[in-house]
Amino acid sequence: MTELNQLDLYSMMVRIRQFEARVLNEYHADKSPAWDIGAGLIPGEMHLSAGQEPAAVGVCAHLKKGDAITAPHRPHHFALAHGVDMNAMMAEIYGRTTGLCKGKGGHMHLFDPENHFSCSGIIAQGYPVACGHALAFKRKGTDNVAVAVAGEGAANQGAFHESLNLAALWNLPVVFVIEDNDWAISVPRSASTANTSNADRAAGYGMPGVRVENNDVEAVFEAAGAAVDRARAGEGPSLLEIHTVRLWGHFEGDAQAYRGAELETLDERDPIPAYAAAIGLSDDQVADIQAEADAEVDAAVQFALDSPVPTADDALLHVFA
Amino acid sequence: MKDSRAVGVVANPASARDIRRLVADGSAVTAHQKLNLLRRLMAGLGRTGVDEVIVMGDRSGIATGLLDGAGRPSGAAWPRIEIVEEELTGTAADTINATRRMVARAVGAIVVLGGDGTHRLVATECGDTPIVAISTGTNNAFPTPLEPTVAGMAAGLVATGRLDLDRVAKRTKTLEVSCPAQQRTERALVDVAILNTDRVGSGAVWEPGTVEELFLCFAQPDGIGLSAIGGHLQPVDRYEPIGLAIRMAPNSAATDLTEPTQVVAAPIGPGLIADIEVALWSKLAVDQSITASTASGTVAVDGERMFRFESELTVTLRADGPRLVDVAEAMDLAARTGLLTEPD
Repeated sequence: MTELNQLDLYSMMVRIRQFEARVLNEYHADKSPAWDIGAGLIPGEMHLSAGQEPAAVGVCAHLKKGDAITAPHRPHHFALAHGVDMNAMMAEIYGRTTGLCKGKGGHMHLFDPENHFSCSGIIAQGYPVACGHALAFKRKGTDNVAVAVAGEGAANQGAFHESLNLAALWNLPVVFVIEDNDWAISVPRSASTANTSNADRAAGYGMPGVRVENNDVEAVFEAAGAAVDRARAGEGPSLLEIHTVRLWGHFEGDAQAYRGAELETLDERDPIPAYAAAIGLSDDQVADIQAEADAEVDAAVQFALDSPVPTADDALLHVFA
Repeated sequence: MKDSRAVGVVANPASARDIRRLVADGSAVTAHQKLNLLRRLMAGLGRTGVDEVIVMGDRSGIATGLLDGAGRPSGAAWPRIEIVEEELTGTAADTINATRRMVARAVGAIVVLGGDGTHRLVATECGDTPIVAISTGTNNAFPTPLEPTVAGMAAGLVATGRLDLDRVAKRTKTLEVSCPAQQRTERALVDVAILNTDRVGSGAVWEPGTVEELFLCFAQPDGIGLSAIGGHLQPVDRYEPIGLAIRMAPNSAATDLTEPTQVVAAPIGPGLIADIEVALWSKLAVDQSITASTASGTVAVDGERMFRFESELTVTLRADGPRLVDVAEAMDLAARTGLLTEPD
């Protein structure tokens, strides 16, 4: 298993948070009118991952070059933790020609073939794709692993169950990661799900299923390490359900009236200050790590702003692979 | 006033979900299986004269699933079911709050379905109320696998005052682990382990090489988990007024204990048997405090890593555990005294 490095885990969580905070700021900076998601320099819907950093960082710490991730509509934390280039990501979010998809994808469609990273706004779409990656790894005889990430709401989709079935049947090197942030947009699990434990559902397919509580990056790290090791060793798929928290709205502009009193407790549940305290970082260390992340994010924003906007002619390019 | 015809039920929806499904062959006990176990329990409780059951609420549909008992086998004899009205948190607080309510209602017994961790939480609040301990966790020493139909009958006979509690529900022990400098004290029902790691991580203790010192309330040779290590050095039952203190090799520097180094083949987890090298061990007397020889690390209580420490730790055996119903003993006594037979 990969050695745990507390400073690395913390720094990566901060890097993600500073990225998301900056996107949040830039996204709203020139939305006029505010409800027009098509307006401004960053057009389209925006789903940010603040609060869910422990899931991405704890899992991706065990991944190496060639391992694959399929992420959902809320992809930034997994993309950054998996090594997707921040400049190319930011340019894609801004819709520029230097972006990962030359500005045609936007924030929900970040495709990075080099790092085997992809995501999609179609809920649960990534599960079968991860099985495909894993089947390829198995047939090629590599020890690579595919990680399929989605929220607890996605686990009610047929594609989830079909993928668990195939992965178990073919003993594929997949780790199914469910980020349970308690809300499927605005629907709580109790209103949508007959079997409230996805660890139980894994058991139905003969696959080990584990739930990690407390949104703790080291707890995720340990469980994910065990699951990734199993997959690399040819022992087959596992399921990790990570109980996390969505600190911000489902999408930017979500008033979140459905969350009621929970909104008032969110600051206390922020995993990043909690981890800084747990590992005994000083205020100066925290400030330095944030400043380093901010500098990288500033450069990425500048790169995006300096990059060309696609022209009408570009619309006809790269349409067919 | 004591309402001797009521029984409390705590079923932890979160048990059997931890990392030991990945690093060992831990059981998966689904929420539906837990509901199934509770239905069987209701039959046993109802048949032995319990007329009311107070059940902890949960978000997994276990408690509410009990409300449709009419069509179940023996459903006509089920007790009235009341779900504890308490705001659910999905955390250990639910177990603690529910147990307090049950004690306030003076239930005659509390039936617990869960692992060592669930039982430990109930034990902090249950006082003199006897508990029936059914294992639905991963790696349990305190609760055991029991058929809930029969466990329910035993709980019913206890709760309705028809069995001698001093015989069938004797008091167990606890271990108090205290770090005064950090103002931290925890109680264990089974074991306190001092680990040489500074990580709490996923909680469960599953790497035997991390254990430096081990303190045991009881040690059964047929048990599983860390306490099984002691079971093969010196069997200690749940009720006798001693515990064990064990120091692992090769970590030991102290020489105040006298046993030679030995290797124990111990079933420390489901499907996981490890050769554990023991440097020293001794018996612990009730109220005897031992200062841990490890200067810093992590404290695990009943197999769960709880907190990091960097200053002196003391561990004390106490004779203040919950009254634990011995189901086999209870049913034996019931049979010998004809409690479930009627004359022709």
